[in-house]
Amino acid sequence: MQIRLTRLLALLALVAVSLAACSSPPAAPAALNPEDWAGVEAAARGQTVNWYIWGGSESINSYVDKFYGEPLKERYDITLNRVPLADTVDAVNQVLSEKEAGKDPGAVDLIWINGENFLSLKQADMLYPDWSRKLPNAKLVDWENPAVYLDFGAPVEGYESPWSSAQFQLIYDSARMGEETLPRSYAGLLEWAKANPGRFTYIAPGPGAFQGTRFVKGALFELSGDAKQWIAFDQALWDQWSPQLWAYMNELKPYLWRKGETYPKDENELHSLFANGEVDFTITQAIAGAGPLITEGLVPETARAFVFDDFMIGDFNYVAIPKNAPSKAAAMVLANMLLDPELQAAQILPENGFGLGFGIDVTKVTDAAAKATLDTAAQQLGDAATPASDLAGSLVGDSAGEYQTLVEEGWRTNVLIGP
Amino acid sequence: MAHQCVDRAVGVTKRYDTLVTWLTLAPALALVGLIFGASVLYGLAQSLGYLAIIGETRLSLEAYSGLLAGRSPAGREFWQALGFSLWVSAASTVLAAGVALLLAVALSSQRRPVGGATLLALNLNLALPHLAWAIALSLLLAQSGLLARIATALGAIQAPAEFPVLVRDSYGIGIILHYVSKEIPFLALIVLAVLRTQGTAYELVAENLGANGWQRVRFVTLPLVLPGLAAGALLVFAFTFGAYEVPALLGVRYPRTLAVMALELFTNPDLRSRAEAMAISLLMALVVVGVAGLARVVNSEREGL
Amino acid sequence: MRRWSLFLLRATLYLLLLGPLAAFGLYGLSTRWFYPQLLPSEWTFEPLMRQLGSPLIQAALARSIFIAGLVTSLALLIGLPAARTLGLRRFRGRGLVLLIMFLPTVVPPLATGMGLNILFLQLGLAGSVAGVVLVHLVPVLPYTVFALLGVFARYDEGYEQQARTLGASWPLVLLRVTLPLAGPGLAVAALFAFLVSWSQYVLTLLIGGGRVITLPILLFSAVAGGNPTTTAILALLFAAPPILAIALASRALSGGATVVGQQY
Repeated sequence: MQIRLTRLLALLALVAVSLAACSSPPAAPAALNPEDWAGVEAAARGQTVNWYIWGGSESINSYVDKFYGEPLKERYDITLNRVPLADTVDAVNQVLSEKEAGKDPGAVDLIWINGENFLSLKQADMLYPDWSRKLPNAKLVDWENPAVYLDFGAPVEGYESPWSSAQFQLIYDSARMGEETLPRSYAGLLEWAKANPGRFTYIAPGPGAFQGTRFVKGALFELSGDAKQWIAFDQALWDQWSPQLWAYMNELKPYLWRKGETYPKDENELHSLFANGEVDFTITQAIAGAGPLITEGLVPETARAFVFDDFMIGDFNYVAIPKNAPSKAAAMVLANMLLDPELQAAQILPENGFGLGFGIDVTKVTDAAAKATLDTAAQQLGDAATPASDLAGSLVGDSAGEYQTLVEEGWRTNVLIGP
Repeated sequence: MAHQCVDRAVGVTKRYDTLVTWLTLAPALALVGLIFGASVLYGLAQSLGYLAIIGETRLSLEAYSGLLAGRSPAGREFWQALGFSLWVSAASTVLAAGVALLLAVALSSQRRPVGGATLLALNLNLALPHLAWAIALSLLLAQSGLLARIATALGAIQAPAEFPVLVRDSYGIGIILHYVSKEIPFLALIVLAVLRTQGTAYELVAENLGANGWQRVRFVTLPLVLPGLAAGALLVFAFTFGAYEVPALLGVRYPRTLAVMALELFTNPDLRSRAEAMAISLLMALVVVGVAGLARVVNSEREGL
Repeated sequence: MRRWSLFLLRATLYLLLLGPLAAFGLYGLSTRWFYPQLLPSEWTFEPLMRQLGSPLIQAALARSIFIAGLVTSLALLIGLPAARTLGLRRFRGRGLVLLIMFLPTVVPPLATGMGLNILFLQLGLAGSVAGVVLVHLVPVLPYTVFALLGVFARYDEGYEQQARTLGASWPLVLLRVTLPLAGPGLAVAALFAFLVSWSQYVLTLLIGGGRVITLPILLFSAVAGGNPTTTAILALLFAAPPILAIALASRALSGGATVVGQQY
């Protein structure tokens, strides 16, 4: 019996290995030098760039098609193929599967990416290296800022180029609640929930649901009193504070919507609960606050964004080029265009549908007209946005990447399933 | 002499027949056998840990032991997920079969055959895809859904929280409601078809011999439709057990069905979860094949009597 | 009494069918329709026009129709001879063949898709319509074969033999005798095949790799996107063709005959 099993397994292994060996070797990467920008633009002419981005927001989809798709064609003769994803991890899996099958060139040119997905591809060595710092517009990026050059604690180096910034905020309905009754800290939130049982919930932390993880991490930061200590990974620190984190979440649990037995799995579900009056708060990451959501018809017009006094995590998001991308030149041109000051000014305005913050550092812009456009845009975020000073005052950076899984799995075991 | 000629002719015909037989079967067998077989093989290999992407070529039973013994994070939920999946599928199947049977019996115990309009209605319900129906249910039955709004307008409730939790609930009620409402037409049509072609004569005889309504159902109708109904029920069980879309839309984060768990593990950025995902899907296949096998055994025992 | 219960039943069934469609219609033509509003207050045609005119959606619709149509045709082409042989002949190995054909109906498509993911990538089939068509055939073909099996179980070969003795060639027999006799069963099998392929999500997702975008993929993505207007419009677009197909087919099939019932 034992021998037969081993023989069977050996046969299976042989089949699998021989099939794997049949795959073609990866082709040598095209020699593209971003420092020779004219050459890159010339190579990009006529190419199609397959940009894999999260497609769950129609307003973002329209924004991308209009503000990037059209200029790409007009200025550079590049066709934009925007591939909508239900989750960025789908693009990661695509690239990784292509790596296993030895496919080069693959299907993906550019991915809207950050965090754990960036880590996955970096670990698998499937990212095109050494290009993002050499783009013409890279000089507008504040590479000295740890929030920029570290993505979930991992060095970005030359693998990713920034697109926009985001900060965790909450949204309330000004028609239902007054501003003075809003909780301004996690401790305050607990009080509020006890006074208003069943009227609050948060997104379940989990792979792909990083807003939920972010919310829980914010609680961790507040409980431990300092966010900076979490930038580097320290198991002892986690062992010290995680029991208190779970204690807080479990204390909050019975006062949550549905008594904390179930949670919305993504922000759209939470928006729906909020809009339909099942809960009183939802969240957003957009610098334009509730503006883009109002434009899209997902929340009432009286929705407004706000923040706690501290520990609202903010970070940058990026685009990256897979190693086996078929149109690397076009991808680089697009990445460079994302940093264009005019377009950066357009991206923060709520009426355009995107609403996330700047990816560039406004102070580094030398062109006076561009700077004026950026400043004007920053004034026009609308009433639904959190005041800029509040945002700045509560901003903290994200933690080391290793904590992500600890928080997600720990939450599932200790809070969702319960002690 | 002529005898031998005939024998030879018969032999040639037999070989020609066998050739034709297998030729006609070849494409279908090849397609299903090869593709399906390949998926099982590859799935098995991956579940045993063969993942060339991250350089793993050793085979091990780690994924299975992690799941079954509860050692991995996914493993801690495995048995609950299995139980939950079985509960949802079994409840849906039994309820749908029961109601479908009653429906079909009630419909056909008339002198006139079942009208075209009713049949059309049943068929149209069949045609509505599962995904569309699940979305409709979530729009209608959510605590802030259309039915809740009607209830509020009528003054029965004041806030969404007072409306019963019918979808996205922890007991799988939403999922069961969906499958029951979708599969009753399917099973009812099967039963109706059997009754149409075979039922009335036997019923009339039984009635003439003095059997009352309930006895007719128990001793005439039920045995007649049971094979078809059982086959249909098995299909329903297999389908609901392995389906992803509906539990993903109408279910909750915990407990999850096995299908949802498997797909989420498969798409996890951590590639080592793939082995577990494949292991779960193969275990699922095993469960359904086991149930099918059991059904066959029970059926042949019954027929043997 | 029976008349009333029959009427009630039919009313319930139609309500169960029209209710969702009406809900989709209302959501699709409005925006910001929140609790506790009974009827939308902000009506708008704009999202509907935008969706219908969107090249992405039009392409997805066309692709869904193309794939389902191709799968149906191939399933019938491959399944008909196989079902005929299985239905009419008793031969050694028949049980085994039936078992092999039966397995894909019980094994979850999820398992098939996940197992084939890497293989299809190596074969260059992943992310292609051809690959998706091929993998759709795995759940569809067994259903087709079993549906047609029912037809041939009651089939009288005598008609074919008569035609042969009268001098008809095989193709003529096929066209004038076999197909008309098997006609209703064929139509049912075709409809089933179409429906199963039309509704496939997981298989298309795993093998299409996000590059073959069919309506269910868009619909699932829309649900994740949370905009009920978009979801409703796409859901209508997704549900309409199969319902229409079955409505037409039920009309065409000898008045009042059931679709499913044909196989028994």
